[in-house]
Amino acid sequence: MSDGLKMVVLLKQVPDTSSKAGVNPDGTVDRARAKKMLNPFDKYALQKALEVKRAVGGEVIAVTMGPPPAISVLSDALEYGADTGYLLTDRRLAASDTLSTAFALHKAIIYIGSDVDMVFTGLQTTDGDTAQTGPQIAERLDMPQITYCDRLEMKDGKALVRRVVEGGHQDLEIPLPALITVANSATPLEPKRFAAVYKVRELSRDKGAYDEKIKTVNLDDIDVDPAKTGLAGSPTVVGKTWKMGDIGGTCVMFQGGAPEHEVEQLVERLTTDERGIEELIQ
Amino acid sequence: MSDFANVMVIADQLQNDLQPITFELLGAASELAEKLGVKVQAMVMGHDLGDIPQTLIHNGADEVFVVDEPELADYTTLPYRRAVITVLERFDRPPHIILCGATTIGRDLAPRIAAHLEVGLTADCTELDIGEYIHKGKADPNKVGAFENCLYAIRPSFGESLKARIIGPWKNPQMATARAGAMVPSKPDTSRTGAIIPVKATFTESDFRVKVIQTVRDISKAVDLISAKVIVTGGAGVGGPEGFEVVRDLASVFADSAVGASRKTVDAGWIPYAHQVGQTGKTVRPKVYIALGVSGAIQHRVGMSNSDTIIAVNKDESAPIFQFADYGVVGDLFEIAPLLKKQFQKTMAGATAQ
Ligand SMILES: Cc1cc2nc3c(=O)[nH]c(=O)nc-3n(C[C@H](O)[C@H](O)[C@H](O)COP(=O)(O)OP(=O)(O)OC[C@H]3O[C@@H](n4cnc5c(N)ncnc54)[C@H](O)[C@@H]3O)c2cc1C
Ligand SMILES: Nc1ncnc2c1ncn2[C@@H]1O[C@H](COP(=O)(O)O)[C@@H](O)[C@H]1O
Repeated sequence: MSDGLKMVVLLKQVPDTSSKAGVNPDGTVDRARAKKMLNPFDKYALQKALEVKRAVGGEVIAVTMGPPPAISVLSDALEYGADTGYLLTDRRLAASDTLSTAFALHKAIIYIGSDVDMVFTGLQTTDGDTAQTGPQIAERLDMPQITYCDRLEMKDGKALVRRVVEGGHQDLEIPLPALITVANSATPLEPKRFAAVYKVRELSRDKGAYDEKIKTVNLDDIDVDPAKTGLAGSPTVVGKTWKMGDIGGTCVMFQGGAPEHEVEQLVERLTTDERGIEELIQ
Repeated sequence: MSDFANVMVIADQLQNDLQPITFELLGAASELAEKLGVKVQAMVMGHDLGDIPQTLIHNGADEVFVVDEPELADYTTLPYRRAVITVLERFDRPPHIILCGATTIGRDLAPRIAAHLEVGLTADCTELDIGEYIHKGKADPNKVGAFENCLYAIRPSFGESLKARIIGPWKNPQMATARAGAMVPSKPDTSRTGAIIPVKATFTESDFRVKVIQTVRDISKAVDLISAKVIVTGGAGVGGPEGFEVVRDLASVFADSAVGASRKTVDAGWIPYAHQVGQTGKTVRPKVYIALGVSGAIQHRVGMSNSDTIIAVNKDESAPIFQFADYGVVGDLFEIAPLLKKQFQKTMAGATAQ
């Protein structure tokens, strides 16, 4: 490949809760019926990689781990401007927790090349929702990391970054290779450009060329011991789940009468129910 | 002494400012340790930590491991990682449980430690408990067995209206990060005593790959949703940025109050992100939570359902929020909120007149 940086962006396909399909009125998801989409947080990661490529040159490689249909997030990434993609798919990956997901993905990155300069991930996913996968990959790759990054600029081969912290931010300098998790206060993903979209659509008509651009690999290809991933490699399991509805009480309703009356009733109730609300009024 | 390794808390401090989550972690750790019959240990990393170790003891720690080095003055991942590993390497048996805050520090550090130790880590827990677990699954014979004294790491499984109990008794430490605002903080007791144990970290050069240029914080500007006693939240029902005036106005009746917001209003740009309550915002547990024009979607609910008293105002009587609020008023918030304010003020005037 040319000069410039070799960048990997990790993307995950998650249920699309903005679409009406499979989403109940209270915001809960029916997984079987839900549409799928690119994890919204990962769009910030893709944007950052594309920005770095524009500034200093290089290639952007989109990587996802998931069932075969997850390949669509890679096509999507190509349409946004990524150069190539890898789909890691294998039945033995089922029931992976973050430790074993990170194990498989770090092997995928090693497979892509020992010369990867930067790995970008989203801050977290909307389904797994842990923000752990990125740092756990960095640990395996022995890379320094920046989490919650919202600004990044390359200078003399190092990255100058801003990281969000409680009530402020840190400015940091990090050498490459490095792993960056991108916060959702970073630049939003720019719209697709027609030329790129056109190229990808053209490509998808030529199976050979398409398979060359987006490679599908399994655990054997990337040299993963199956004992290290999937259920076997996961130190945690879901022990039990129960409905959120089990918590909370019954709501006392004030309705039907004149608003003044209802509010008066409510406040009277509040001041006699020994919850101590009157002590909070100034 | 009991047969177990202890419960360890990794204290969360930024610029020698002990973060409130630390007290919540100590509160939770004390309960867990009592159930297990073991000690609460804490570790704190930083420089010129002053009386922070003592504060940890007053708040429930029996032993505090202190790594106080100039290299740790500012938080960066790798030196802090090394300090934690140095402390853990002192023990013949690893702690039974390690708790961290689900903060920008805890979420940065904990996954690296867990990956280094190759142990489980459950993110963003809202409840922690101890219990037994029987694993029957045939898919992985190595896991089958009956286990006692497991950490129950409980977290909302978002988008599915479920709470999930995550378990990993196969290898200690069992690790979890806890969401700020979700657990009951410890109560300081200045008569508590404990051991303070200084530890020297054994850094390597590669720990210093990242350079801190500066850390900028403005605590006065931070929206203090976590500590406010009363939160008045505006949802899409407020109709626009001006609508938040009504919300602020009602909040002003209370001595220690803050303004919250649903994600819809934040995404619309009506109010800054710092006000957002919910899955992708803050978790809060004020004494009183007043929701104005909020529908009560699951992602909002997980951030506020632990409030002591929830009052909802919504013009739609079938809004989901009425399923978990304590008190509900069906009506137009623009009419109800000012009336509420007046009525609260009247109550106050009545109380002082007596
Ligand atoms: C991954 C993910 C993460 C999310 N994270 C969060 C989060 O952190 N926090 C969050 O809040 N949401 C979050 N959401 C969004 C959530 O699903 C809801 O879309 C959001 O909470 C709805 O906001 P709302 O209640 O203000 O708006 P709506 O659902 O539009 O509700 C507005 C309510 O106001 C009522 N109303 C309208 N006008 C008036 C009036 N004049 N007087 C009285 N009542 C009126 C209506 O009846 C309605 O019930 C998340 C979603 C996803 C998918
Ligand atoms: N299956 C996956 N495939 C590719 N990337 C992933 C996968 N799971 C997690 N990631 C990356 O790790 C980030 C954090 O995910 P999580 O730990 O699930 O919150 C995501 O934003 C992605 O960038």
